[in-house]
Amino acid sequence: MKQSKYGLALLLFLAIPIVAHLLESIMIMHMHMQMPLLVISGFLMAPFFQRQFPKFFASWNENGIPGILLFTVIMVYWMIPRTMDDALTELPVEVFKFISLPFLAGIPLRDSWRKISNNSQRVTFIVFTILFYIMGFLYIKVPVQLCNNYLLIDQITLGWGYLTLAICFTTYLVYIAFIDSPKPTEVD
Amino acid sequence: MANNKTSFSIVLVMLFGIGLFFIGTDGFTAFTAETARVNKLLEDQPEFPPVTFQDSKERQYSIDEFKGNYVLITFFYSACTTVCIDLEMNMSELYDKIPKKYIGNGIDFLSISFDPKRDDPAKLDLYKNMFNSDGETWRMARIPDQQELDGLLDEFGVIVIPDDYGNYAHNSAFYLVNPNGKLSEVMDFRHVDAAAETILAILDSEADPS
Repeated sequence: MKQSKYGLALLLFLAIPIVAHLLESIMIMHMHMQMPLLVISGFLMAPFFQRQFPKFFASWNENGIPGILLFTVIMVYWMIPRTMDDALTELPVEVFKFISLPFLAGIPLRDSWRKISNNSQRVTFIVFTILFYIMGFLYIKVPVQLCNNYLLIDQITLGWGYLTLAICFTTYLVYIAFIDSPKPTEVD
Repeated sequence: MANNKTSFSIVLVMLFGIGLFFIGTDGFTAFTAETARVNKLLEDQPEFPPVTFQDSKERQYSIDEFKGNYVLITFFYSACTTVCIDLEMNMSELYDKIPKKYIGNGIDFLSISFDPKRDDPAKLDLYKNMFNSDGETWRMARIPDQQELDGLLDEFGVIVIPDDYGNYAHNSAFYLVNPNGKLSEVMDFRHVDAAAETILAILDSEADPS
């Protein structure tokens, strides 16, 4: 499938040391560009794995809940200020980032999203919206530098990035709550 | 309802999550790299590397100059307009809180500049006067050799990032090096009273080992 190849190409491109270094040199690009792109690369690669191991996904992730939980665990893990620092200073953590975000967050997200109910989807959105608000205020309000490798001003920028995302999510949640009830999800 | 394998994998994912967070935060103790850094320093107790200081009176010596005494160390640069001033002000407060009998006879104070190009002895002399440092029991010094300086910063986990305006961002703390030249305490520079208590307890027990 073409899509999976694009996913793999994206992952390999992000792993080129110069590209990785460039994206990691600015805090908000590290958190809000490199990391989501890694998740997207896994998201694109998912169909390949779903076709290779259909039984695995059907039996171990039947209702999508384990997958969405795994996705959440990995995302929250990479929100801890410490992990971002460690990825810059310790190679094993950096390698884990390039494995965990595509394969333990991107793939399970794609496999699970259609399986979980509309309510679960909404809960997921709400959880991440709350998390983004918390992270936003944390990075903006905390007077100390949370990450040793980045300047305080980078931290505040990242905080506003989180708040912007949280506001977008809120808008979306309000939208689906009042304007349009989503169609029933189709299962492939 | 979910089948057995799916239920099992929910449990598995939860356990994996707990394990991951446990390892990633050193057992839920360090959520920022700074906490992790300090924890690790206290565990490792690194030895003060052999570097050559040049102080505000242009004297040159190594850390052995202070042998037999504890040395309270901070890292700063004089062109700094933000945290270094707080840091050195607090160091001055701490200096005043330590009983006179221990000053120079049990403990010495040392402020190390990590900007050797700008902080020459003349500049250091000027800077020390701003904080009432006497230049003897509280000295201000630079490490002229950049390689030696980098080695020390690395050993003590001091991360210095130059910003776009000729300033540096850096993590700050009170470092206490014991009479054998090993790092024994890293204290929060914002809590002067707590630091003074810790140091006093150590000095008292050294003076009266019973």
